[in-house]
Amino acid sequence: MYKTDVVIIGGGPCGLAAAVGASKAGAKCLILERDERLGGILTQCIHNGFGLHLFNEELTGPEYAERWKARIAGDKNISVLNNAFCYSIEREKDGFLVSAFSGDGLVEVFARSVVLALGCREKPAGAINLCGSRPAGIFSAGCAQKLINIEGKKVGDKVVILGSGDIGLIMARRLVCEGSQVLGVYEIMPQSGGLARNITQCLKDFNIPLYLSTTITRVVGDKRVTGVYVAPVNEKLQPITELEKFIPCDTLLLSVGLIPEIEIAGDLGLEFNPVTNSYTVDEYYQTSLAGLFCAGNVLHVNDLVDNVSAEGERAGECAGIYARSGLDMANRIEITHDEHIKYTAPKYIYNTHTGTAKISFRVDKNYKQSIIRAVSSGVEISKRPAPAVTAGEMQTLIIDKSKIANDLHLELLVI
Amino acid sequence: MEEFQVAIIGGGIVGACMFSELTRKGVSCVLLEAASDVSNGSTKANSGIVHAGYDPVPNTLKARFNIRGNQLYPAMCARLKIDILQCGTLVVTDEANREGLNILYERGLANGVQGMRIIERDELHTMEPNLADNIDIGLYAPTGAVISPYLTCIALCEEGVVNGGKVLLNFKVDKIEQQGDNYQIFAQDKSVSAKYVINCAGVGANAINALVNAPQVPLKYVKGEYLLLDKSQNGFVNRPIFPLPTKAGKGILALPTLHGNIMLGPTAIPCEANDTTVDAEGIAQIKQKVELSVKKPNYKKVIKLFAGVRVISGDDFVVEHLPNTHYFYTAGICSPGLTAAPAIAEYLVDEMIKDGLTTAPHTFVSRKPYISTEKLSKKELKELIKQNPAYGKIVCRCERITEGEILDALNSPLHPTDVDAIKRRVRPTMGRCQGGFCLPKVIKLIAKHYGIAEERVCLNGQGSEIVK
Repeated sequence: MYKTDVVIIGGGPCGLAAAVGASKAGAKCLILERDERLGGILTQCIHNGFGLHLFNEELTGPEYAERWKARIAGDKNISVLNNAFCYSIEREKDGFLVSAFSGDGLVEVFARSVVLALGCREKPAGAINLCGSRPAGIFSAGCAQKLINIEGKKVGDKVVILGSGDIGLIMARRLVCEGSQVLGVYEIMPQSGGLARNITQCLKDFNIPLYLSTTITRVVGDKRVTGVYVAPVNEKLQPITELEKFIPCDTLLLSVGLIPEIEIAGDLGLEFNPVTNSYTVDEYYQTSLAGLFCAGNVLHVNDLVDNVSAEGERAGECAGIYARSGLDMANRIEITHDEHIKYTAPKYIYNTHTGTAKISFRVDKNYKQSIIRAVSSGVEISKRPAPAVTAGEMQTLIIDKSKIANDLHLELLVI
Repeated sequence: MEEFQVAIIGGGIVGACMFSELTRKGVSCVLLEAASDVSNGSTKANSGIVHAGYDPVPNTLKARFNIRGNQLYPAMCARLKIDILQCGTLVVTDEANREGLNILYERGLANGVQGMRIIERDELHTMEPNLADNIDIGLYAPTGAVISPYLTCIALCEEGVVNGGKVLLNFKVDKIEQQGDNYQIFAQDKSVSAKYVINCAGVGANAINALVNAPQVPLKYVKGEYLLLDKSQNGFVNRPIFPLPTKAGKGILALPTLHGNIMLGPTAIPCEANDTTVDAEGIAQIKQKVELSVKKPNYKKVIKLFAGVRVISGDDFVVEHLPNTHYFYTAGICSPGLTAAPAIAEYLVDEMIKDGLTTAPHTFVSRKPYISTEKLSKKELKELIKQNPAYGKIVCRCERITEGEILDALNSPLHPTDVDAIKRRVRPTMGRCQGGFCLPKVIKLIAKHYGIAEERVCLNGQGSEIVK
């Protein structure tokens, strides 16, 4: 049995930063990475745009991962096990027993605390009730990205993309660069869920059309995709079938949403938030089970990797402090919010009267002009103007904890 | 030309049962399958239920073979070393339809179904906490069970092969000639010869009958669409929950699969012979009708839609011997066909023996089951990985399938080549991400095993190559 202070499940951007955080707290930690190398999804994201906030540079995914790998290299507090697929977390007295396949055997690790840094997975065709047939040629965008960027394969000649999230946009450009023809990106919502810079750099600059409020109604093809039917949708997002149109193509990419990979902790009875499809956490990124931490895309799907790293580092640091000396968990307050705000992470804060806390959240739709503010016992304690808030982008607000009275409420005031 | 006593046309559940039954009796036998794997038609896309037998009208072939098939299944599964979930089945309704449930119960008694009872509200809702509020009574049939229909079919074919039979895949029969005492059966440039031919071609039954001037059977095709929910919904129902049947069929049910998913469906929509598309109307119908029996399922957890085609001929199965020939045919083996198949095979083999087919003493060889590392204890798993480190490498995260398990499937008796064929055997790409993570790895393993380019690896049959 291997013993350590903190086990970090996942060696992507969140897990790497968590290791840095745990070491900073003086804790020994072990990263369990299921792939043969560290970096997670970054290893296949060969486009640039990573690290603008953290490093003030535009890095590619692998470069961004290398920065973090360099930070953990030589750190005696940090151990890494690649090819290690974690399959169970059991609560034990004073800690957790984590079991994993290790590539050539099984490993069991006892740790005082655990950081879930498993990221997320893509929704499959079934999850969006995609109708028609089920031939070869339907890929999730991330799977196609792996086949192209890691395996060096071509996925198709004439491609239609459903969903204009960032991966869909990035892949549209990538496919064109690799010699495929991208016939269009179709988005059921009236606006793209992707970053504005990606719409410009990936679609407009490559003359790839974006069809908003339009979806794919049926897939056609017996052995291989031969085409898809598309139709505009009404306000209830129902396709207007009279306006259905056939688009001949041989490949369909789906970029229709991401789901946090929380299943490993499914038996532990953690408090769950249906809005994020994940667990709730306190300001230490700790779940409802003391000693079990959760950050990055397994907590809530982030738009920027920089945010994932920041969360991971904080979660790792707190997990390290928990393991070494314990966290101050007195005077817990639930953060409440108005109807414009969909959720907050963290959901709970400890009224320790010192320091600051960063609250991340998403809003329900796009707002041109608004103010985001925090109120405690009827008194405004933090506020910032928020021009052009979009539903896709993560928002944050910093709270001075010394100003918190008995409660904490977040509001978005539409101007 | 290779010569056999019997040629079976069609590798669905009926053909597979025939193949197993004949090879175990020492009969030399070939199974001819048009697709790239067995279990590729109706057999792979149905509810997977071993029906108790209260549904069919007494004194029909359906009733007779259903009851007998239900009796044969437990021992057959034990022999094949595959799982069967002996959970029983429930037909549920409200007080106003008590009479309808009683009729079903009486029919079950007439057919000889053992152990049925009518269950009243309190007990019923304890057995199944997610029944709809309006449900008052249920008919419980303890002999109903759940199996994996495709794995059952595959296991039967594998058993046939290890007992001396031969399976020829991608063998699409296009000509049958009588030559002396034998039939010569052709598929493009290939052919085999056999004294007896049994048509188990399912959707293709009439096309095969036409090749030997056997009668055309009036057939219609009815599509059944399904929604498959993630394993996290395991326990939503503990056994198949049927509404009270109507003339249109057994209705839309909710059931647990053998692997812990929840399945909702099927619809019953007239269609073309090979139409397995899913429609928005079908999905809407499933959602509307299933909620008449159970509480609202968590549709956010749907991971897959699929559909299968049932072939229906009037009110009963067609199981015939073409007079003065050694040609036998089956057609219209719709529900409860999966349950009935072992009994149909038992009956047909008897008929063939009466018609002069000779059997021989045979020492039975047991098929090797697929290892599921998920079912092993830590100790067993450690031991297995020590013997073969491939069992320590995870390929499919969602279903926790190791490289060793996938290699077992590739080395199995039918030598499956397609991603879907591997999926049906050991489940990679079957889970909640539907292959988003493991598809590239599975393609690689198949290509490496057969020494072919990854560009030649297919999803399901030639023409379904995945990468270019």
